[in-house]
Amino acid sequence: MKPVLGIAGYVLREALSRKFILAFLVGITLVLTVVALSLRIEVVDGALAASRLFGEELRNSIRSVDVALRPVYQAAAFLVFYGGILFGIVACSDFAPSLMSPGRIEHLLALPIQRWHLLAGTFLGVMTLAVGGTLYGTTGLVLIFGVKAGYWTAGPLIAGLLACVGFAAVYAVMLTTATLVRSAALCAASGFVFLVGGIIAGYRQQMTPFFEEGFGREAFKAVTLVLPRLSALAVAAGDIASSTPLEVRSLGLLLLGVLVFGFGALAVGFWRFEGKDY
Amino acid sequence: MTSQEPAIEVRGLRKTYHRAFRKGGNEALRGMDLTVPVGSAFGLIGPNGAGKTTFIKSILGIVQPTEGSIRVLGGSPEDPRIRARIGYLPERLHLPGTWTAPAFLATVTRLKGLPVDPTVNLRLLERVGLSDAVGRRIGGYSKGMRQRLGLAAALVGSPSLLVLDEPTDGIDPMGRMEVRRILQDEVQRGTTLFLNSHLLAETERVCDRVAILAGGRVVREGRLEDLARGGVRWLVRFAPGANMEALVAAGFVRGVAEGQYVVEAEDPAALNGALDRARAAGALMVELRRDGTDLESVLMGTVEAAA
Repeated sequence: MKPVLGIAGYVLREALSRKFILAFLVGITLVLTVVALSLRIEVVDGALAASRLFGEELRNSIRSVDVALRPVYQAAAFLVFYGGILFGIVACSDFAPSLMSPGRIEHLLALPIQRWHLLAGTFLGVMTLAVGGTLYGTTGLVLIFGVKAGYWTAGPLIAGLLACVGFAAVYAVMLTTATLVRSAALCAASGFVFLVGGIIAGYRQQMTPFFEEGFGREAFKAVTLVLPRLSALAVAAGDIASSTPLEVRSLGLLLLGVLVFGFGALAVGFWRFEGKDY
Repeated sequence: MTSQEPAIEVRGLRKTYHRAFRKGGNEALRGMDLTVPVGSAFGLIGPNGAGKTTFIKSILGIVQPTEGSIRVLGGSPEDPRIRARIGYLPERLHLPGTWTAPAFLATVTRLKGLPVDPTVNLRLLERVGLSDAVGRRIGGYSKGMRQRLGLAAALVGSPSLLVLDEPTDGIDPMGRMEVRRILQDEVQRGTTLFLNSHLLAETERVCDRVAILAGGRVVREGRLEDLARGGVRWLVRFAPGANMEALVAAGFVRGVAEGQYVVEAEDPAALNGALDRARAAGALMVELRRDGTDLESVLMGTVEAAA
C-alpha cells in the first residue's frame, strides 16, 4: 500500500503546483466568502422571515428554513456534480499522460514499485484531490447556511460525495485512455464523451422511443445499458442535498452500477499497462 | 546473490516491437548474450539503433522481452526487491519542473521504500554539485543540472548496480570530470556500473569492460585493454640521429612520424632484447607504447565487420 500512497503523494504534489488548481481552490474560497459576507438571513421560529443578498431582499413569503433552502442546495448539488466533473476532466486530464511521458515513466518503472501501484496511486491521488475539493466547497456551504439559518444538514456533503463517485467512473475511463495513448487531449475527450454518455444513459427510458424500432433502438439500448447512469446519480444527489424523496428506485443499485463500470474501466487500464513497453 | 553470480546475465534476448495493423515488427534485439561481472565498470557502445536503450530497458523490466532470459543481481528485474538495489538514470529524464531538488529526492527515496533523511539527500546533492541550487525550482535548472539531479536520484540508497544512459549528456567538461570521479568512486565502493554513452572517450576513461552492440547483437565484448590492443606491435620513438640501417637490422620498421619505429615482440623479454640491440647501435629511446587502437577505431572496425 505504501507505494500507492507514495505515487498518490507524487500526483497531489504535482497537482498543487499547478496554477489552475490553486486558482480553483481560491475561487471556491472567494465564492464562499462573498456568500458568507453578503447574505443575511433572518429566521423566526424556524421559518425564514427575510433574506438579503448584497442588501437586496430575495423573497418575502415566510417559509420554513429547510423548505426555503431546498432549491439552493439542489442547485448547489447540480453545480458540484456537473461543474465538478467537467472541471475535473479538464484539470486532471494531464496527470496520467504526464506521469507516462518519456523520461518519467522509465524512471518510475525502474523504481521498486509494481506497475499497478502507479495506476492505483494516480487514481487515488486524483480522487483525493476531487474529494478534498468537493468536501471543502460543500462543507463551506453547509457551514454558511448552518450558521446563518440555524439549519444543519449533511445532504450537500453526501451529494458532493455522489458527485465524486460519478467522477471516479469518468476518471477511470480517462486513466485507461492514458494507458493506450499518452495524450491529455484524448484523455479529456474520452472523459467528456463518457460524461455525455452517462447523462444520456440516465434518461435512456425516456429517450428510447425517439429511436425507430429495430436495430437503431436496440443499439441505443445496448450501448446505454453498459454506461454509468450519471444523470440519474446527479438527480439523486440533488434530492439528497435538498432532503427531498429520491426519484431513483434504488440508490444502492445505481451506485453499484457506476462503481462496477468504474472498476471495469480500471481493470482494462491495469491489464493494458501491465503488458505495455515504454 | 552468490559471489559467483554476475550482476547482469542475459541469454538469447530478443525483442520485437509490434505495431498495430502492421505485419511483422521491428526487431530491436536479436538473440543477445551478455554477462556483466559484479563490481565491473561496463560500457555498452554501438551505433544508433543498435538496441542499446532497448537492452537497458529490458534489464530494468521497462520493456518486456519477446524471448530469452534476464537475471539482474541474481533475480528477475520484475522483482521490486531487485529493483530496489538498482539506480537508474534514463536518457532523457523528465523532471517535475515546479519541484525543488530536495523534494524530488525525498519522493524518490520514499518510492524506493527508504526512510527520508534530508541530511543524506543534501549530501547527495552536494556530491553531484547542486548544493547551490537546492532552493531553486527544477524548472529553472540547466540541462546539465538536471542530469546531475538525475544522477543524484540514481545514487539514492547506495545501489549495488548503477545503470546510466548517457549520464553526462549536456554537462560541461568540468562537470563531466566531476561525474566521472563520482562514478569511479562508486565502482571503487563495489558498485557495478553499466554505462551507455555515445562519448567513447568517457567510456574509455570510466569502464574496464566494453560490449559493442550492432544490429541487436553483441558483436564484441571484453576487457577494454584487450579490445584496444594492437597485438604484439610496439611503437618506439628514438631521439634524432639514430642509425636507421642499424635499427632496421635490429628488427625495427620505420614508422610514419619522424624518429618513430615499429617493433613486434611477443613478450617483455623479446621487446627488451630488441631495445637492447637498438641501444647498442647508439639509438636513444624517448617513447615506448603499445601500438593499440582507440575505442572509436575498435567500434568502427567491429561494426563494419559485422555489417
